[in-house]
Parts: sequence; structure tokens; C-alpha cells
Amino acid sequence: MRKTALAMLASFTAVLLLAPALHAEDTYIHYLKNKQEPADCFESRDGYSNVTRTEAEPGLPNVKCSNKTGGVLWWGDPFDGTEPMGEMPVEADYTHEEAVVKPRTGQLKYYMPCTACHNGSMVPYPKDKNPRPLAMHQDIVPDSMNLQHGQGAIWCLDCHNARNRDTLIDHRGGEISLNQPQRLCGKCHGEVYSDWRDGIHGKRIGGWDKGGKKRWWVCTECHNPHTVQEKRYDPIAPEPRPQYPRTRANADHERGHGAGH
Amino acid sequence: MSEPRDKDEKKKDAPLKPDETSRREFLGGAGLSVTAAALSGAGALLSGSDEAEAKATWGEWFQKNYRLMTEDEKREAVLRLEKRYTEEFGKKTTVDSAPAQEGVLFGYALNIQKCIGCRRCVYACVKENNQSRDNPEIQWIRVLKMEKGNFLAENMDKGYPDPAGIQVGGNAYQNSGVVLEGEHYYEPAEVPEKGHFYFPMQCMQCEKPPCVKVCPVRTTYRDPDGIVVIDYNWCIGCRMCIAACPYWARRFNWGEPNLPAEEMNPVTHYLGNRPRMKGVAEKCTFCLQRTRQGRYTACVEVCPVGARKFGNLLDPNSEVRKILDKKKVFRLKAELNTYPKFFYFMD
Ligand code: SF4
Ligand code: SF4
Repeated sequence: MRKTALAMLASFTAVLLLAPALHAEDTYIHYLKNKQEPADCFESRDGYSNVTRTEAEPGLPNVKCSNKTGGVLWWGDPFDGTEPMGEMPVEADYTHEEAVVKPRTGQLKYYMPCTACHNGSMVPYPKDKNPRPLAMHQDIVPDSMNLQHGQGAIWCLDCHNARNRDTLIDHRGGEISLNQPQRLCGKCHGEVYSDWRDGIHGKRIGGWDKGGKKRWWVCTECHNPHTVQEKRYDPIAPEPRPQYPRTRANADHERGHGAGH
Repeated sequence: MSEPRDKDEKKKDAPLKPDETSRREFLGGAGLSVTAAALSGAGALLSGSDEAEAKATWGEWFQKNYRLMTEDEKREAVLRLEKRYTEEFGKKTTVDSAPAQEGVLFGYALNIQKCIGCRRCVYACVKENNQSRDNPEIQWIRVLKMEKGNFLAENMDKGYPDPAGIQVGGNAYQNSGVVLEGEHYYEPAEVPEKGHFYFPMQCMQCEKPPCVKVCPVRTTYRDPDGIVVIDYNWCIGCRMCIAACPYWARRFNWGEPNLPAEEMNPVTHYLGNRPRMKGVAEKCTFCLQRTRQGRYTACVEVCPVGARKFGNLLDPNSEVRKILDKKKVFRLKAELNTYPKFFYFMD
């Protein structure tokens, strides 16, 4: 009797001692305690869609950022840094709500603006539209002769405006702001564009309600048009896994359960 | 919708008045007159700040089921809680009691082809809804990692059955088709991983919710906008709902919830994200503290790939309705006739 009681006590103590160890690294609380919340985090593409954490109102941050991955984890103010979307092709059915976008021009990693160099004198305007290897920007497109967008049928100046590098250009020569890439992308990707207008494809934040204010996300906020052929969406680090059940040190039990929990 | 019901209740309540006042008298102390105590119930609670928690607990103990409370009683309960949380977490906390909007039935749609398994929705939900952070760690959304499977003709007749897992076609060495055998403890360096897809699950806000059916104290019920809510104060912790839910959507506070004050979201709703106590069940409420004010849920706003969609099923122009019109849609375990309002769709 006494022996069993002692053994029970011993194993109970062991469980108690083990318990914290089972919950240690790679859990949410671990990151919460051991890493500071970054002041700068990204929405969907690191380096292209960054937000700086500020206070929208006293005590209410505009965003909360992940201590582990530096991704946006929560929106206090979804309209931080946005402006009205502006003119859209007629089919856009956003008349019943106030659509806003976040200007892309200030966000772009390589935007200084482009015309600082591509002004016709520092870098002369190209004579023709024929492809040639890139001397610069190889971090964006390593080999311009092997650009896979449109299975190789499309290259730089089909989208970038040669005369004004701060803008894009559609295939009829119309200038398009970098803030509204959908007007260019939609020319070829009509079906996706239609879904995007309906709010099915892509992302919107703010209010679901009619007449409300909504932030629409544009194509290049999620997709990198230069690499979209290999990966539609750049892989990112995931947030921490949930804690294992108290008596488990790994996830092996999950497989044994068969159909899951 | 709720107006006439409340009026009815007031009438129903009328004969109960003496009982009510004697309770007030009891609560207010012998020195106070009955009416004064009844009128100043909330006021009395607001005065003695050092006793806020004790009084709140006392008040909650004698509180009716939220669904049966009159508007006045609701207001009183809300004030009591606001005071309590403000004191406990050291920041101005609001407890909303907004009812369902008329002409609204909430629906959710998730593009299963888009989800990359990043779990940002899981933590946006935790931050928004004041879940316990650690021991117990409570998360309402679970993202399952699943293997992509194929029926390969050459493998059809091979092998012996796999002892673990449910096998659907294929053979012992390679399950074919999709098996509902997900893993939610995955932790690769980057997502999405090759050969996998991800399957987020949360409360489906069933139209015929089994969790509501089994609850012996009717603390959980379906509101007119379709959200299945829980009055935590009335939950007796029997966990019948957890057993009844076919979607593993409900969680239980086995321990005192661990919610650091600086992490607490002070914008709360009585039926939604207000801080919970030990021994109660909880689950996703489509962020009703946000959505009843016209805002998207926290998981919709945070999903980096826009896989999550939310809106009013009764509005033909809403995003969810357009998805139902245009896309291939399925519901999980539809054969159980729970009629989930959570739709999975594909491009
Ligand atoms: S998913 Fe589960 S918890 Fe949610 S309403 Fe249905 S049965 Fe209830
Ligand atoms: S945030 Fe979006 S992509 Fe990430 S796991 Fe959730 S649903 Fe999937």
C-alpha cells in the first residue's frame, strides 16, 4: 500500500516536473515571452507590403505583428495608410461601397522612384522593344531572356512603360499607375479579374456590410509578377504549432488516432 | 426581431417582481429601500471599486440566462462586467450587447485551393477573442495539413492494409484519394509544402447545431443572424456540446484562462470574446463583436492569401453569395444534416 502510494506520488511529481518541458519551444507563449513584437511587419510579401506598427488610438495599435515570423497578425485599423481607389474600369461594381487601396508606389522595395535613373539621360530610352539581357535588377529577374511570364511571350516593356518608368503600360499604350496593376493584369487574366471584382479572388478588409468602407488588395500585393510562374505565392514561415496535449511530447499520437480527433 | 420578445418577457416577468425585489433587497442590504436598491443596482456596483470583483461574482451568481434577461438586466450585467474587466486588466474595457441585425444571416466561405497553412488566422483569432494563451492554450481554428492523394491504377491491387489511419481506396503503402487524416502540429520552415494542402476548421455555425440540441442548461443557442452563441455564465461545464460537435469546434477551459493583461483585447461582446472563466466551453462566434458592427472577422482580415470570405447570405450581392453562384462548393460532413454555414470552395 505504502509503496504504491509513494510510487504514485513519485510519478505524479515526475509529471509535474515534465509538464513545463513539454510546452517549451516553438509554442506561441514561448515566442510571446522571448521575442519582442517587431515594430515593422509585412502583410503578404516581406519587403513589398510592410506596415509600421503605430497607435491608431491610445491603447489600440493599428496592427499586431507576429513575434515569430514578423507577419501581420491582427488589424486594429484596416484603413491605415490607404487612399480612395480612384478611377476603375466601368465594370467594377464598387459603387455601393467606399473602396480604398494602399498606394503601392511608396511600398515597392526598388522604387526610388524609377525615373530617378530611368529618365532618358542617365539611362537612355530604349530604341525598340526587343528583348535583351538585363544589366541591372537581376535580383528581380535573374535572366530576362528567360522570363517565364506568359510562358516567355511577355517581357519587361510589355508591362513597364519605357517612357515613364514610374508607371505601367497596357497593350494599347495607356499609362497605368503602379497602384492599380489590376487594370493591366486583368487584360490577360480576365477570369481571375472578374472574380477579383466580385470579391471572390484576392483579399478585402474592413467591412462586410453594404455601404461600408473596404480596403481592396491589388494583384501585386500578393503575387510577384516576375516569379509568379514558379510560385503563385512566395512561401512564408508559418506561425507556431499548437501545444501538444499535456501528456504528449510529440505529435505521434495524431497518426495513431486515425481519422484525427 | 428581438423587440417583441423582450416586451413579452417583461410581461412574463411582471408577476415575478416580488421575488425579484426580495433578491435585490438581499443583495442591496437591509438598510436600503427596495426600489432604491432596484434602481441603483448598477450604481451601487460602480461605487465601491475595491469590491468590484466580489460584487460581479455575486451578481453573476444570481443572473438569469442571457437569453431570458430583460434589456435592463442586460445593461446591468454589462456594466458590472465592464467594471470588473477594466479593473482586472487595467484598461478601459467595453462589453457590447448588440443583438443580431435584421435581415442578416452570416455565412463564411474558404478557398481550399488558396490556403497555404500559415496559421495566421489561428493567431488573429486568439488575439481578437481573448483566448487563454498557455496551459491551457486555446485555439478556436485548427489548420490541418493533408496529403494530396491520387488514384493510381498501378497501385490499386498492391499491399496490405495500413494499421494506422482510415484508408480510402488505394493500398497499404499509398493511401489514395483524400483521407480525413490531417495533422495540425506541422512545423516546417516554410509553407505551403509540396504535395500538401491545408484544411482550416472552426465552428461552422450549423443551422441545426447538435451542440445546441444536447446542452442541458440551454446556455448555448442560435441567434437570429445564425451565430451559435454561448452564455458563459450559465455554462455548467458538462462538455456535452464538445462531444456532440462533429467538427471539433468547441474548446474547454480546463484551467484558469491565462490571458496577459497587455495582450487582452478590450473591445468585447457579452456573447463573444469577453474573458472566460475556468470550466466553461467556448468556440468561434464569427467575431460577433466585430461582425455585428459591420466589420469582417479577424481571420478574414489577416489571411495573407485572401482565402477567407465572409458576408450576408441573404444579400445576393455579397461575396459569399457570389461564391455560391460561381464556384464549386462543398460543406464538411454534409451528410450529418447539420447544415453548416461554412462553405469550402475551389476555383
Ligand atoms: S460546428 Fe460544432 S460548435 Fe459549431 S454550431 Fe456546429 S455543432 Fe455547434
Ligand atoms: S491565414 Fe489563410 S492561408 Fe493562412 S492558414 Fe489561415 S486560411 Fe490558410
